[in-house]
Amino acid sequence: MSTSIEHANKTVAASAARNPSGKGPRLGHGRFVHVWFLAPAVLALLAIGTYPTIFAVVTSFHQYNLTRVRDGFPFVGYANYVSVLGDSSFWNTLLTTLEFFLVVMPIEIVLGFVIASLLHREGLGFLRSVARVTLVVPLATTYAVVGLVGRLLFNQDFGVLTQAFRAIGLDIDWLGSVGGAFAAIAIMDVWQWTPFCALIFLAGLTMVPGEIEEAARLDRASGLKLFWHIQLPFLLPGLTSLLILRSADILKLFDMIFTMTRGGPGSATELISIYIQRIGFRVFDLGTASAQAILLLILTIVLSRLYIRFLYREASA
Amino acid sequence: MKFLKASCCALAMATALALSSPVKAEDWSLAKAAEPFKGETINVIFLDRPGYRAIIKLLPQFEKETGIKVNYEIVPYENTREKEVLNFSSQGDLTVALVDLVWVGEFAENGWIVPVDHFTSDPSITDPKLDLKGFFPLLLDAFGTWGGTVYGLPFDNYSGLLFYNKCMLKDAGFDKPPATWDELLKTYAPKLTNKEKGTYAYVLQSRRGETQSADSFMRFLWPFGGSLLNKEFKSNLSSKESLDGLNFRQALAPYMPPGYVSFDHAEAVNALAQGQAAMLTEWSAFYSTLTDPKTSKIGDCLAVAPEPAGAAGRLPALGGFSLAVASQAPEEQQKAAWLFIQWATSDAIAKDYVEAGGVSGRTKVYEDPEIKAKYQFVEPLVQSWQKGVAVFRPRFPAWPAISEIIGEWGSKMQLGEVSVEQGAKEIGSRMEDVLQKEGYYDGKKKLLQ
Repeated sequence: MSTSIEHANKTVAASAARNPSGKGPRLGHGRFVHVWFLAPAVLALLAIGTYPTIFAVVTSFHQYNLTRVRDGFPFVGYANYVSVLGDSSFWNTLLTTLEFFLVVMPIEIVLGFVIASLLHREGLGFLRSVARVTLVVPLATTYAVVGLVGRLLFNQDFGVLTQAFRAIGLDIDWLGSVGGAFAAIAIMDVWQWTPFCALIFLAGLTMVPGEIEEAARLDRASGLKLFWHIQLPFLLPGLTSLLILRSADILKLFDMIFTMTRGGPGSATELISIYIQRIGFRVFDLGTASAQAILLLILTIVLSRLYIRFLYREASA
Repeated sequence: MKFLKASCCALAMATALALSSPVKAEDWSLAKAAEPFKGETINVIFLDRPGYRAIIKLLPQFEKETGIKVNYEIVPYENTREKEVLNFSSQGDLTVALVDLVWVGEFAENGWIVPVDHFTSDPSITDPKLDLKGFFPLLLDAFGTWGGTVYGLPFDNYSGLLFYNKCMLKDAGFDKPPATWDELLKTYAPKLTNKEKGTYAYVLQSRRGETQSADSFMRFLWPFGGSLLNKEFKSNLSSKESLDGLNFRQALAPYMPPGYVSFDHAEAVNALAQGQAAMLTEWSAFYSTLTDPKTSKIGDCLAVAPEPAGAAGRLPALGGFSLAVASQAPEEQQKAAWLFIQWATSDAIAKDYVEAGGVSGRTKVYEDPEIKAKYQFVEPLVQSWQKGVAVFRPRFPAWPAISEIIGEWGSKMQLGEVSVEQGAKEIGSRMEDVLQKEGYYDGKKKLLQ
């Protein structure tokens, strides 16, 4: 992008030089041209990113209930933040979200790596190409649809997965019990996101220089050593971005769970985003919901910084 | 008392209307009244339920007669309030408000809906045959009235009924349905449950959300003498009667299909339709789903009775929607909307509406021998609407927040994550926090529900 802008800049500057009658740079010419190139993106970002965020920050300091418009929207200082931090349901749902993350992430990483390693091997060219394409299918499926499909798959009477598990002797009340419902949403998440992990790892593995891998094999390095010393450094940048993306994603995971369990039974599958939606669009207490969202934003930023600090290493051949 | 108030109000309005109206009944026609509004479009939200499918079938008749276009959008129930609140608070385009009985307080107090006397005072747009007394008083009071003022007319009307599979009951040696909850639990349930065969005596829709709070939790308070709130608006859930009801709900669990805690209406109706459960307490509106061979295998085995009685008598679940004019709409559209609402809830189309799958709130249509003979839900329905609790669920603006609390803790109770007593206490204290913030305890707000 920046190269093309520089190029455009030079072109316009050159044409200005060829035109001696020009009275200096005008808007849209010369040194302002980059403004026009950047304007659409910046305006879009301001409208759909920056403005709502600032609005949410402002709202979080006000009593802002859409169903109590007559009470006005008075400034309440930190009251919404104090109430959120003292709300046991907020912490419980955050804990459920953390549990969900700790359950699904390791499974997705391990399975993703296994799939990536299989696809990285030599041979079976056609099958590998087909497998790579099919990996994209779960990723391209809308979250809400994944939830609806999950509701059918785990239906107690005719669900395919319920019947399959029953056939191997596991008669689980999937959507009607606390553990079952949690496992069901975890399974659907693993189904949807393992391919993403696999593709990221595959990209990492293809970056490993063939000669280094070959040299290690000639030195009879074991599979584990090969992974640890040769492949892992190339996988770390991918792993870091994977963790950042998935952390943010799980913190805002809503559609799949809402359509599948609506956060129930009880609060077994109530992740933080479901709770915020309840406060924001059932109770319409947008002040409190905004405070919760801002706290989540801070949490996401802190987590991202931690991942980068402790995991990210530039791989060099 | 509230019932009396609403009835008096309705009577007064009807009388005033009759006395003041210079338009004779025979001179008034919908087409003539609608002439000034020809070409107007009114916007309304509908649900994907039989009552709405029925009115959609009849809509061309209204549009042809009046020249008013009815623009409807079908929205899932769960999103309806969200959509309407956002629309009203941002001065959107809705002309008609679809008002669930538990939203009437919120919509009225926020000034989002217009009282009907604003229109009934104008005889040119009010049908002389608009007979407010012709609605079941319980429905007009519960669905459309707030603080003694009528805002909406009952449109999609439900009562909880006991739907049962008479063949399964007969096979188990019963020739009639249980008359009391106690009988259902002690006599019927053990004989009708066969876990090996996968058949169960009863099914209760309990999915988290309004289904848990309205259909599952509240259903077991009133018939047992309990209630959500006492006269001072403090929690009454820890009273003996309320706890009896909630413990009774727990006692039914062994006789229900596994996973019932996650069942919404669709799954619960399906359990009866497919022969998995022998009895179901469900809204009258699902009658057409159960009789339709495309959606139900139960066929002639289906029978309907009023909900069983508890220690405090028969107090079945009450629910439904009224249609009200949205105050944000321009004057002309408001008038057009008022004509539509009168037509949709009128005696004139009540029979067609019932035959198209709707459940009218008018009394007269259920006296029709043809309707009585054709629809077996009529008798128990009429019986249920004779006596009921208008505040089966409180209709004040705090209900959505309380419903969320019940949705969470009510299902935790059913799952055994907390005991009934603990759960009742937890809901009680959280509910009182909400009511405190609303200003019910410091005299800022009248104790209206």
